[in-house]
Amino acid sequence: MSKELIRLRDCVMSYGDEVVLDHINLYINDKEFLTLLGPSGCGKTTTLRIIGGFLSPTAGDVLFDGVRINDVPPYQRTVNTVFQRYALFPHLNVFENVAFGLRLPKKDAGGRKVRVPEREIHERVMEMLEVVNLKGFEKRPVSALSGGQQQRVAIARALVNRPKVLLLDEPLGALDMRLRKDMQNELKRIQQEMEITFIYVTHDQEEALAMSDTVVVMDGGRIQQIGTPEDIYNEPKNAFVADFIGESNIIDGIMRADGVVEIFNRRFQCLDKGFAKDEPVDVVIRPEDVDIVEEAAGQLRGTVTSVTFKGVHYDTIVDFYGFKWLIQTTDYCPVDSHIGIKIDPDGIHVMKKSHYSGMFGDYSSYSEEYEELDVVEPDGEDGEESDSQEGRYEE
Amino acid sequence: MKHGNRIGSRLFIGLTFLFLYLPIFLLIVFSFNAGESSAVWQGFSLDWYVSLFQNRLIMESLYTTLLVSLLATAISTFAGTFAAIGLYSLGKRRRDALLVVNDIPMMNADIVTGVSLCLFFVAFFQGWGSFAQWFNSVQGAVELPERLTLGFGTMLLAHISFNIPYVILNVAPKLRQMDKNLVDAAQDLGCTWMQAFWKVILPEIKPGIVSGALIAFTMSIDDFVISYFTAGSSTSTLAMRIYSMTKKRITPEVNAVSTLLFLSVLALLVLNNVREVRQERRAERQEIREPSFFEKLSFRFHHPSFKWVRRGVTAAMGCVFIVVVVLLTGAAYSQPVVNVCSLGEYIDEELITIFEDRTGIRVNYQTAESNEALYSLLKSGGADYDVIVTSDYMIAQLIEEDMLEELDYAQIPNFDLIDPRFRNLPYDPENRYTVPYTWGTLGIIYNANMVEEEIDSWSALYGDEYAGNVLLINNSRDALGEALLYLGYSVNTTDEAEIREAFDLIADANARGVYQAKVSDQVFQKMEGGNAAIATYYAGDYLSMLENQADGVDLRYVIPKEGSNWFVDALCVLKDAPHYDEAMEWINFMASTEANLANMDYIWYASPNTEALEQYPAYYEENSEDGEPLDPELYEIMAPPAEVLERCESYVVLPQATRKLYNDLWIELGA
Repeated sequence: MSKELIRLRDCVMSYGDEVVLDHINLYINDKEFLTLLGPSGCGKTTTLRIIGGFLSPTAGDVLFDGVRINDVPPYQRTVNTVFQRYALFPHLNVFENVAFGLRLPKKDAGGRKVRVPEREIHERVMEMLEVVNLKGFEKRPVSALSGGQQQRVAIARALVNRPKVLLLDEPLGALDMRLRKDMQNELKRIQQEMEITFIYVTHDQEEALAMSDTVVVMDGGRIQQIGTPEDIYNEPKNAFVADFIGESNIIDGIMRADGVVEIFNRRFQCLDKGFAKDEPVDVVIRPEDVDIVEEAAGQLRGTVTSVTFKGVHYDTIVDFYGFKWLIQTTDYCPVDSHIGIKIDPDGIHVMKKSHYSGMFGDYSSYSEEYEELDVVEPDGEDGEESDSQEGRYEE
Repeated sequence: MKHGNRIGSRLFIGLTFLFLYLPIFLLIVFSFNAGESSAVWQGFSLDWYVSLFQNRLIMESLYTTLLVSLLATAISTFAGTFAAIGLYSLGKRRRDALLVVNDIPMMNADIVTGVSLCLFFVAFFQGWGSFAQWFNSVQGAVELPERLTLGFGTMLLAHISFNIPYVILNVAPKLRQMDKNLVDAAQDLGCTWMQAFWKVILPEIKPGIVSGALIAFTMSIDDFVISYFTAGSSTSTLAMRIYSMTKKRITPEVNAVSTLLFLSVLALLVLNNVREVRQERRAERQEIREPSFFEKLSFRFHHPSFKWVRRGVTAAMGCVFIVVVVLLTGAAYSQPVVNVCSLGEYIDEELITIFEDRTGIRVNYQTAESNEALYSLLKSGGADYDVIVTSDYMIAQLIEEDMLEELDYAQIPNFDLIDPRFRNLPYDPENRYTVPYTWGTLGIIYNANMVEEEIDSWSALYGDEYAGNVLLINNSRDALGEALLYLGYSVNTTDEAEIREAFDLIADANARGVYQAKVSDQVFQKMEGGNAAIATYYAGDYLSMLENQADGVDLRYVIPKEGSNWFVDALCVLKDAPHYDEAMEWINFMASTEANLANMDYIWYASPNTEALEQYPAYYEENSEDGEPLDPELYEIMAPPAEVLERCESYVVLPQATRKLYNDLWIELGA
């Protein structure tokens, strides 16, 4: 990972009064796998479309290799996109879909039209079909392919043009769970093999954590946090990030001193420093970082209110003084049993208060929150009518 | 029970389809009939098709129809496709609203579309006229035409305007089905918008465009009403030609041309449906399969290395289209023309061909229902005829309103052949505007097999003896004239009380159900077929009916004892006629002995040409199939002697107030 390739400087996107992107500042390095992660309507697809050239920001600059490209149309950018529903050309077969970009005449330095020779087209297309494991499918009509195969064609069609950057807009959204996992590995492999930059948009945090070099968490048109997957998970900057990435119990606390935080009037050892004395803070405790002990031996004492078997562990909801925590544990504790808990200092993460404080992290309405997390994001997030997809979505 | 139901429902379906298709089936069958009858099969023959293709007027209207349909289809397909794409770039709400707006013209009554387009064009032409006049007066460099008229151009515009919604309707769903990201994807891969349109949008929506074009073409080909109102006086489509041919009676020739029209529209619809079904099947069948021969061929054809072949084929098709258009236009529009309008089917059409061959002047021949209909057509500004044929009283009115142009008699030497009896008549006392065309009498035509005694009085029209079997002539002047004669008044009275008395006589009989219908040229079919007992019409038309009367019908003609009307119909030229010299040539030709003889033989109206009147009996004998001589009694009906004319009165133009009274009363009588 080396030099900077793309930079968004103070990008604002607004439609009338509605601000979709609010002063986005972001840089993307060459050969990086960067993921824009966030819920529906957070601005991630808009950001991608700005980089692709389909939208021009209301204010701010888009720089590519240091050159401002705000007004460069998509067909002149060395960037290619894999679209949400693949957007394969239904009237062309697999080969012709992949060859589409190569067949277009390009202007050379002297402004003359240059065409890629047919032999070269054939070579490059076949090579690319091999990369995406679709050799032997070249004569098939695209409508006769499965979702995963169509996905591969879309990737090959974009990559055959040798872009510097590949943009992927929720490319796995339409696939089932197993296929999605396979394709994640496949994409990562392709990215490493081709040695180009991937900018990946998703609302699926697991996907983001599994594949990315850098994750950009967005919400409400703003970047909430940029960091490696580990950073984002272990050191969320605010309650939104903590909640969006994985499961979190977020509790009001007071920083009594460096390394000491008070929750429910009890002091806990932690590793966080640099807060003012007695500053109110949000405290994140991941469900897997809580150990269940004998009631008497616990730092806190509570009552189990529900238990759900999850395979590897139990999701146990425990009531502490009216505040419900989610604890993931391999120990079975029956409902209504009284338990105690212990938390190691490195299991506690302290965050500054933000406008997200108090909105997340309480498992009082446990089941609903679960459902919410499982919701698959609907079509595009820019309020585009869904009817444009009618009859096109036929796995 | 169940079984019975099924038979019942099948029977019902059968009857429904029988009801739908039997008339068309009969039409097709009788187009192959050897005889003239539309009811009795007289053996198979293709004669009517042969005569169809030899009929210059029909072939010409076929050219016009194809030309207007092709051009309108091409233009509206282009415009409609881009309009649909434009619609899809709008927001959903505005797009849906506009799609509803798009539906309205298709659901709208054709007659409303036609009339409104006609009014629009006429209003525009008037505005244009003032503008062009002003423009020409302030500068001399460019001369703008000051007078525009309805014609091929306006009809084409009308066809384009009613075709566009059909194209949009067919293209829009394809656009809706199309993945919006396709265009983005194409641009992302290096296409400009235009390249994306050609390479991605067009192939995707092509089925919609093709079916839109097919439907537009079908709509254009079989349109009658809108064309009728926007074609003006010089242009007729096939449908308009068929309509004018059916005014008197439906000849097997009409069957033949209608059959061809029906079959071509059917073929287009079948083509369109087959295409749709195929596409649906293709969409359903997504499994991998060996492509069919045609698909392989089509794939080959669409392969990039065949680009030049493809471009060649496209270019060739484009050239063919242009050549066809040029040929069609050229064939129709390179000659000098004269636009003629006449009453009913009022000419031996072979004369038109003879005239055209001899002079090279093209004749656009159209017909009007009645004098009054012609008058309102002229007043509406929707017509630009050069020559019209109309009746004496109407001529007087047109002269009064300064709507006629004086004739240049130096260019009409044949005027010398007109019998002095028919010159300087009251409607044109100095004979500056007219050349008489025909003359004759109004009388009662009755079916002797349907009445008790011989009829000799107008009273037969008002009594109850033949209630339900009397046809009232649909023309206020004649109908009220007959009543006035019966009451012993003059046909030219201006006394309101007398006119009202005459009207009450008719209205009363009408209320008692005496009249079967009000008719103009429909009288032919009714009387010839024996569907009515009594009618009033013109002597010449009686002779024509006599020739075509069905078995068991015995038609007689009588000029009632109370007297009747005798009339002269004459050729005249409208003010500012665009083709004045051609009009003079046409009038001179129509006044010739040759034309008058042919016309007498064809329409059975008496000629005002002295030579023709003398020579007609011999001409008849020579031309009749078995050399049979002309029945003098019939000739007397056709060209009655002086003493009969003395019993008759000719119409003179009525003062404005009386004309208005006539008009109001006629409207009061209702349908």
